[in-house]
Amino acid sequence: MPLMETYRQTKADWKRFLEALMKGRELIAPVKRDLVRFERVKDIEDIHLKSMSYFPAKHWFFPEEQTLFRFSKKGFEMPKQKEPRRVFFGLRKCDLNAIKHQDMVFIKQAKDPYYKALRKKSLLLGYHCRTAPSPFCFCESLGLPDFFDLLYYERKDHFVVEVGSAKGKALVKKYGRWFHAEKGLTPEQRRIKNADTLEETDIGRFYDHPGWKEGVNLCLSCGACTALCPTCYCHSIHDEVTVADPGSGERKRQWSSCQLQGFTKVAGGHVFRKDRESRFKHRIYHQLEWFREKNKVPLCTGCGRCIQGCPTRIDWVSMINRMKDDEHRT
Amino acid sequence: MTNTGHSQEENPLQPRPYRVREYYRETPDTFTLTIDMAVDHDPGQFVQVSLPGIGESPISICSDSRKFIKLNIREVGRVTRELAGLRKGDTVFLRGPYGKGYPMEQLRGNDLIIVGGGCGIAPLKGTIDYIENHREAYGEVNLFIGYRSPKDIIFSRELEEWQQKYHLHVMVDQNPAGEFCYDGRTGFVTEAIREKVQDNRNKVVFICGPPVMMRAVIGILQEKGFNDDQIFVSAERLMFCAIGVCCHCMIKGKFTCIDGPVFRYDQIKEDEQE
Repeated sequence: MPLMETYRQTKADWKRFLEALMKGRELIAPVKRDLVRFERVKDIEDIHLKSMSYFPAKHWFFPEEQTLFRFSKKGFEMPKQKEPRRVFFGLRKCDLNAIKHQDMVFIKQAKDPYYKALRKKSLLLGYHCRTAPSPFCFCESLGLPDFFDLLYYERKDHFVVEVGSAKGKALVKKYGRWFHAEKGLTPEQRRIKNADTLEETDIGRFYDHPGWKEGVNLCLSCGACTALCPTCYCHSIHDEVTVADPGSGERKRQWSSCQLQGFTKVAGGHVFRKDRESRFKHRIYHQLEWFREKNKVPLCTGCGRCIQGCPTRIDWVSMINRMKDDEHRT
Repeated sequence: MTNTGHSQEENPLQPRPYRVREYYRETPDTFTLTIDMAVDHDPGQFVQVSLPGIGESPISICSDSRKFIKLNIREVGRVTRELAGLRKGDTVFLRGPYGKGYPMEQLRGNDLIIVGGGCGIAPLKGTIDYIENHREAYGEVNLFIGYRSPKDIIFSRELEEWQQKYHLHVMVDQNPAGEFCYDGRTGFVTEAIREKVQDNRNKVVFICGPPVMMRAVIGILQEKGFNDDQIFVSAERLMFCAIGVCCHCMIKGKFTCIDGPVFRYDQIKEDEQE
């Protein structure tokens, strides 16, 4: 693989660079309050890079709730959208690849104009994890490719910056005074340490394994895992009418979760995947197996947020590892 | 055929207005709408039908014309109950057609066995109309249709015609008053299949109905030596987007809305019993 175009940027120049990008753009970056989440940042000092964000950046492209149409008795009209230009800073490898995977779903497959409008005006500036920022990380088990406009590697007093796209290249060209030539990084320097904990990603043969039970028995079917997941894209669509004029209102889509029992309920009341086990496995298998059957890559990007944020801490990565260990024993 | 009727630049979720050409009450809880939607489609495909402020429902097309589509609808939820209020000249909002239908072209030359349970006969009526329009392409046609009772008989206008043209076997689960129902049989549709279907030679089967009925029919067909790739089933799932993104209709990685709703049984058999 040819070495990446690589630069050095001082921390003072990094600040200048972001401030320059903020002219005419919103800066979205991790901010620590009660928890770390991607927020609109006014002051670069507020950016939090010491730990991984608890919530992914998903809602900036695929909001929790979104108006698809305004309607009246006459019909459905798509609201005129004028999405702001945005620059994202501090996206980790998992977050960046999650955006890539959602691009496959919403842009390539569904040709979704809402997602596309939010996505195409965005710059993606990544932040490299030198070592796994959470004990639940497993991104390196999934062989994720590079996906970013620029990727920042933090050093003591400067950043090393890699260029990953034409958009990134244009930025470096425009703001060249803050970028200085640097030697390309070695694969070892680009690796994320302690993030290869999932020992098997091809889990088709484990579907009927009794090992799932221990996790399933703890599952509350609450859907926290899917809400915290940077790639989960299940949603529902509903009409909301205004009280003043029941003939008009908005058609909206909201996040949903395959973990909820009513997720498959058809008119007449029949529910498919009525038991927790089939729903629990549905999520894991969609993430690791079924998405790959269609798209050549697993949907999951190994951030581990579904484990970290699970109220009963169901560590399905360890469960799969034990299923694999069992295999060797027998 | 994946003609969605829209160009790629357009919003795939955009419902468009169409005029109701005919409303026909079939049974106390089902009705058929004929809608001025001139669109190319395969039998077994479906459309998303909207009423502003009520919502959207996937409904399979039960006709085979390029000038209009017919939708047979059972009043079972909020949207379908409101749709029952539509009359000739009213406006309804549609998008589609969506999904993979019955591969009629590929199945030319075969004898066809069509098995429908209750309102499951609706998508199959699309195939029957298709056969009517391409009669020379198919061999013997056997229709097995099961209803709960004589008052649940939908497509009674069409049954008269089908009785003339095909081998029609109508069964009702119960008929306490002994009302007229074609060959007047009481019992499950499975009994008629057991009796009338001899072997699997040069035959394909289309099944649509309640999951219990589909399983029972498949069981009998397997006993009679049918291979799984001779059987086509139409799946019903909850769906919102109809374009493979909302995930509600997923069956172990397959999307009912884009990979189905019609599946060849060998492609789904391991998965549908979840």
